[in-house]
This record gives sequence, structure tokens and C-alpha cells, in this order.
Amino acid sequence: MNRRVFLLAVSGAAAGCMTEHARRLNVYNWSDYVARDTIPKFEREFGAHIRYATYESAEEMLAKAMTGNSGWDVVFPSNSYVQPMREMDLLAPLDHKRLANLKNLGKRFQSPPWDPELGWSTPYMYGSTGIVYSKQAPQPEGWRDLWVNKYQGRMTMLDDPAEVFAACLKRLGDSVNATAPPELKSAEALAIRQKPLVRAYINAEVRDQLIAGDVLAAQSWSITAQQAIDQSGRLAFVYPAEGFPLYCDTAAILRESRHQELAHEFLNYLLRPEVAAAIAREMRTATANEAARHLLPAKDSENTTLYPTEAILARGEWFEAMPPAAQRLRDRLWTQIKSA
Amino acid sequence: MSRLRVAFLSPAAIVTIALFAIPIGIICAYSLLSRGAYGGVILPWTIESYRRVFDPLYAEILWRSFVLAAISTSLCLILGFPLALYIARSKRRTLLLNLVMLPFWTSFLIRTYAWMFLLRDTGLINTILQSLHLIRQPLPLLFNDGAVVLGLVYGYLPFMVLPLYATLEKLDPALLDAARDLGATPWVATWKIIVPLSRSGMLAGSLLVFIPCLGAYLTPDLLGGGKTVMIGNLVQNQFTTARDWPFGSAVSLLLMALVLIILLRMLSRQSEQLL
Amino acid sequence: MNRYLSLYASAAYAFLYLPLAVLAVFSFNASRFAIWQGFTWHWYVEVFRDERLIEATIHSVEIAICATIFSTVIGTLAAYAIWKRRARWLTNSLYLSLVTPEIVTGVSLLAFFQWIFRFLHVQLGMHTVILAHISFSIAYAVIVILARLRTFDPALEEAALDLGANEWQVFWRVTAPNLLPAIGAAALLCFTVSFDDYVTTSLVAGVNSETLPMVIYSLARRGVSPAVNALSAMITIGIGTLIVAAEGLQQRGARSRP
Repeated sequence: MNRRVFLLAVSGAAAGCMTEHARRLNVYNWSDYVARDTIPKFEREFGAHIRYATYESAEEMLAKAMTGNSGWDVVFPSNSYVQPMREMDLLAPLDHKRLANLKNLGKRFQSPPWDPELGWSTPYMYGSTGIVYSKQAPQPEGWRDLWVNKYQGRMTMLDDPAEVFAACLKRLGDSVNATAPPELKSAEALAIRQKPLVRAYINAEVRDQLIAGDVLAAQSWSITAQQAIDQSGRLAFVYPAEGFPLYCDTAAILRESRHQELAHEFLNYLLRPEVAAAIAREMRTATANEAARHLLPAKDSENTTLYPTEAILARGEWFEAMPPAAQRLRDRLWTQIKSA
Repeated sequence: MSRLRVAFLSPAAIVTIALFAIPIGIICAYSLLSRGAYGGVILPWTIESYRRVFDPLYAEILWRSFVLAAISTSLCLILGFPLALYIARSKRRTLLLNLVMLPFWTSFLIRTYAWMFLLRDTGLINTILQSLHLIRQPLPLLFNDGAVVLGLVYGYLPFMVLPLYATLEKLDPALLDAARDLGATPWVATWKIIVPLSRSGMLAGSLLVFIPCLGAYLTPDLLGGGKTVMIGNLVQNQFTTARDWPFGSAVSLLLMALVLIILLRMLSRQSEQLL
Repeated sequence: MNRYLSLYASAAYAFLYLPLAVLAVFSFNASRFAIWQGFTWHWYVEVFRDERLIEATIHSVEIAICATIFSTVIGTLAAYAIWKRRARWLTNSLYLSLVTPEIVTGVSLLAFFQWIFRFLHVQLGMHTVILAHISFSIAYAVIVILARLRTFDPALEEAALDLGANEWQVFWRVTAPNLLPAIGAAALLCFTVSFDDYVTTSLVAGVNSETLPMVIYSLARRGVSPAVNALSAMITIGIGTLIVAAEGLQQRGARSRP
């Protein structure tokens, strides 16, 4: 092989790589957040190849995105992470001309508090935190019922400082995003008072024990609650009277991405009503896509655990990013609760 | 010897320097920086994190972690020694050894879930005990320190058995025969001869169990019901929910320093020879 | 005494396999949850339909094999050198690497790789995971092999040297064969530690390097699918059969030799 042929071959191979590279997209999502055919369908339609992987904590995603060389194109930050990621200059601005399907979003999500112009993120799925309980036990009305010994120690709280503090703060009549030390400290005192009644601080793993009847009441995410309710007719979910936290996961493009165009196409694809509906149906989550919700069977779209009514939603409050000093105090207090 | 020795040491030295010493150097730097608002670190330099570590709350957590790790290590030693001895004396050593490790090729998380099922109120153990009318109310087996110790012992038992086996396998059966000829019962012979001779294995095994137990965080969360904090949880939280990397770095560096000091003192007192 | 010992050993094995029996049973459960709702083969079919699970398993095996080979070889050599003459700084660093909380190992390696990669134009991937695994498994190998060497009689080496062997021959012909059980034990330990690592791996993994534990942990939020139980049961039974068969062959080989 003479040199010219060799060079040609190399450049040909390089070009081959390049073209293939251009249609490649790396998507980093929460676990179980797409339907079985979401990705393959996109690959077929757009002639692209998607590398898809999942994380189970927002911090894991953030730690990698912060390196600025993570290799991911599309990520799914929760609403409270959008502002921080923007401040750190990690997100690419969205081009609305390429996101025609934004119009499908529900009114509430057209201009959400964390990103009013939708300049950096598109709302994807949302949920909230409430109480799932066994109908054989007394029905809880609000968070305050988790402080009286109705459930004989068969009650659990989430293993997440933001959630436990949110419940305590709501019970005290404060905002879930309260940052003042006195408020956080009275929330801590309340949590310590509750601890003898708490069987465990546990997240999604509580599901099996709810279904089996070990646990009678649990602070729980609406998605987890819905999964348990699907399995056992003895369970029900209640949105606490005092108010409750709301969260929304969004889709966003990293600034480091070299596939901005394809990434936009992917975001726009996820906003299609039939795509979003398939995901919501299969995963039993609540989609922020109003047009998609209309495509769902009534038992899903009118399910009040997943889609609380407007009256209930009015009691909800979006989680916000916490300022460093308050977060430090909260972690110290959380450690104290756990060690009490 | 020296040239061979250099050749033998250098791969480990290179790996240790590149993939341990330098990264830990970075962690040292992290511990002296300020926290970024949402994780990571920023300037200016400060010793703030170290000042915050000296807090009775964290001392208490450290103490509890040491106690739980020590209990789990002792149990592993007591339970692991006869098993290692049995394997070392068996004709099917490889088979038995592999069978000790095999369960650990199933994800730790999945095995922990299985334990949660076994231990919960409506779980297998309570159901069996109740159907045998041995108990009326389910025993509170899950979500307490006992469950944490059980989980740790289960999770690290092979780390004790392997080094023990590696030393026991070597022991000359003739030693035992000699002891028996001199009139010792098998139990006495084991206690007087085998146990002392396998001290290096015991020490190695205890290290391999004690140290990871100290940093455990998933077992206390899932089997302990998150009601106690071990030092591993504290560090884990700093890098996740608390987003305080400098503090997390400082806590782990102090933990490392503390364990190293204890180890060195223990080793030098015990016998330099052993490790 | 031997009878008590074998009785005890059976109990110990039962303890080790009890949770596995549970998940094997649940791999046939019609429900996704840990409540029995009837028998099904469904999850076993599901495993083979789930490309992600299969791909992750392959990644995990590849990573574990690479990491085991490197760390066992490096660890054996280092242990031998340390045994010859102490290298305090190295042994101490190895202990320290054991003490390092997993997440700190992960974060520090992530920072290190990112710093290096600024000059190299590489991204996180399989190679970074393998490097990370080598870095934390060497200590296990060294400790296990060193424990064995401590019981090894240096007189044997001296005798070989007196008979004219050089240092390399002494190591290769005299000491290394004697270390084989420990090397095997060390390799087994390294493989296991690597195969099941989650925290460090998830931090240094990049595009195209998802491992089995990463998939499993990422499923935890919505409930781990019994397909994972089915996969674990298949791995356990498959490898278990291999181990037993290998043992049988070895026994037969040993018998047929004169």
C-alpha cells in the first residue's frame, strides 16, 4: 500500500466515523423514564444512534456534568437543578424554533417558576409527595397524623432530608423552601419528636412492605404510591391538608454537547403527544404534556394520585434550589435527627 | 535481589501513585477549599471544614461506627474460622472456596433486598416462627442495629474466609498428627497449634472486614432503616444530598488518618512480622 | 471434631445461600414485588429481551476479568517484593486505599481523570472503570498473598539459591507455585470486588460503560424487576455448574495420573 492510498483510506475511515458521529446522541436519564419503544423509534425515524444510560440521583448527574467533559448530550435535571446548572453555565440555550411541540405542554408548564421562558429546559414528568396508607388503618388527613400513634410504629418516612424537612415545615405552616435557621431548627425538633413512631426512613423500598401490610402509612412519592396501589386495593394515597412539595423533571441539553441539532430533535420528539403518552402509560408517571394526557385512557388521565385536581395542586409548592448556608445547616440537623 | 525487587515493586508503585496518591492529593486540596453552591469546590482556601469536623455529634457517629464494625469483624472471625478450617482440610478445596464466593456475584443490593424480605414482619422467618406457634407477635428483626450487624457479617464473611484459608491451607497436617500422638484432643490441638499459626490470616481477614464495614452505608440505610448514621453515610451524604465536598473530603481524610494510626500501633504492638 | 466441623460448614453454606434461594424463588413470581402471586417463566424470557441488561452484564464481566488479571499479577509481584524487604510506604498506601470510603475513591478518581483528560482528549468509559477497579483491588491481592507468604519458609528459597538458581528462577520455580492457592484466592476476591462495585464505578463510568450493578441500582427507584433475580439465578446456577464440573474434571485427572 503506497502512502497516498493509505492516506485516502485513513481519511475515508475518518469521514465515515464523522458522519456516523454526527448522528449519534448520548442520553443520560433517570431510570425507567422512557417507554420500551421510545428510543428505537427515534433511532429509526431520525437515522440516529442513541447511547442511553441512567442515573438514580441528581447529584450523580450533576457531578459528571460539572466536569464539562462528560460525553452526555441530553440530561434530565429536576426543576430545582435547572437554575443551578444554568448559573454554572452547563446548559445550552434552547432554540424554540426547533421545538414546535412545546405547545403541547400543559398551561402550568408553559411558564414554570424555575424557567419562565423555557429557555433551558422542557418539563417532562412531574410528581409530588404525600402519604400512602392502608385503608384498614385510620385515614390520615395531613402530615400531623404522622405524629400521633395511630399506626403503632408501622409508619415510615422518606430517607431524604429535603422531604422530611418539607413535611415538618408544612406541619409548622412554613414553606417547604424555608431557609431561616429558626424555622429549620423547629422542624428538626419536630422530626426528633416523631422519630420514636417511625419504623424506618426508607424510600421506594417501602413498596413491598406496604403491599404486604407491614407498613400502614408512609410518606411517599406519588409515583411509588401509585405502583403500590396498582398491586394492592387496600392502599390509598392522600395529599396532605397542610400542603406538600411538588417536583418536575425536565429535559435539557448540555452546553458541551456537539450534537445540538439532534438533541433538539430528540427533545421535540419527546414532546410529541403520542410519544409522551406512551411513556406516561407504560411508566405510570404524570406527564407535563397536556396533549399527551388527553390520549391516555381515562383510568390514567383521571387518576388523582398521579394527576391531582387543580384545587389540590394549589396546596402544592415547587422545590427550589437551597442556598449553601441553609443546606449546610439542614444537613447538620438531619445528621442530628438520624443520630437521635 | 535489588533489581528484581525494583521490577516487582514498580507496577504496584506506579498504579498506587497515579491512581491513589495523586487522586487523594486532589481530595486533600478539596478539603481545604470552599464548597461550591451546588457541589464541587471553589476558592478561597480555608480550614473551615476541619474546624467543623470536631463536633461531638460526629465523634459519636465515629464511635458507633467503630463499635458496629468491631462487633461485625469479631463475628466474622468466629464464624469464618471453622469454615476456612473445614475448607482447608477438605479434598475439594477449590470447589468449596468457589462456592463461598459464588453468592457474591449477585448484586449486593439484590441480596440486601432478599434479607429485607427474610427479616420483615410478614417475612419468611417470622412467618415460619408464627406457623410453628413459637411466637405470637412478629419479632422486630428488621430496621435495627442487629439487622445492620447481620448484613455486615453476611456481606464480608468471605473477606475473612479467603485470607484465613490462604494461611490454613499451608499448615502441615503432620503437626496435628504429632499433637495427637502426644495425647492432645483435636480441639486442644486446633486451639494450641492451628490458631496461633494462622494469626497472619486472621489479621489480614480482620483488616479486610473491619475497614469496609467502617465505611458501609447501604446496609445501615436499608437493613437499619436509616435510623442510625454510620461514618460511611455521613461521607456519602456530603457528596450527595448535602453537596458539601470539602467537608466530605475532610471527614474521610480524618477517618483514613485515624484508621491508619490505629493500624500501625496495633501492628507494631502485635508483631511487625505479621503484616 | 471433623463431624462437627462439616455440620457447621453446611450451616454456614446455608446461611450464605439463603438470600439467593429467596431471590431464585422470586424470579418465578408473577408479581414484580416481593409478594408471591403465582408461577411464571416470564422473567427468564425478559432477561434475553432486555438488551441493556445483557450488555451491562458483558461489560461487567469484561471489566472484572481485566481488573482481576492486572491486579492479581501486580499484587503478587508487589507482595513478594514486600515480603523480601519491607516497603512501608507502599503497604501503608495500600491499607489507606482500603480505608478510603468508596465515594471518595470515586470522586477523587473522577477529578483526576478529568484533569488528565484535558490534555488527552479522551472521555470517561470502559478504560477509566478498569483503571479504577485495578486501583482498589490491588490492596486485596497484596494482603491475601502476603498473609500466605508470612507462613512460607525462606529456607526453601535459600536452598534453591545454594543450588545455583538465580532470583527469578527461585521466584518462578519455588515460591510462586507455593503461592498458587493464595493467588487463586486473591484473584477470586478481586473478581468479586470488581464485579459488584457500584459507587466508584458509577462515578468514573462514561458513555458506553454501564455495568450490571449500575443498571440494578438505577432500577431501585421503581422497584428492581424480577428479571434481575432471574439473571442472578442464572449466573449463580451457570457458574455453579461450571465450578462443580471443573472440580469433577480435576478430580478425575488427578486420579488417572499415576
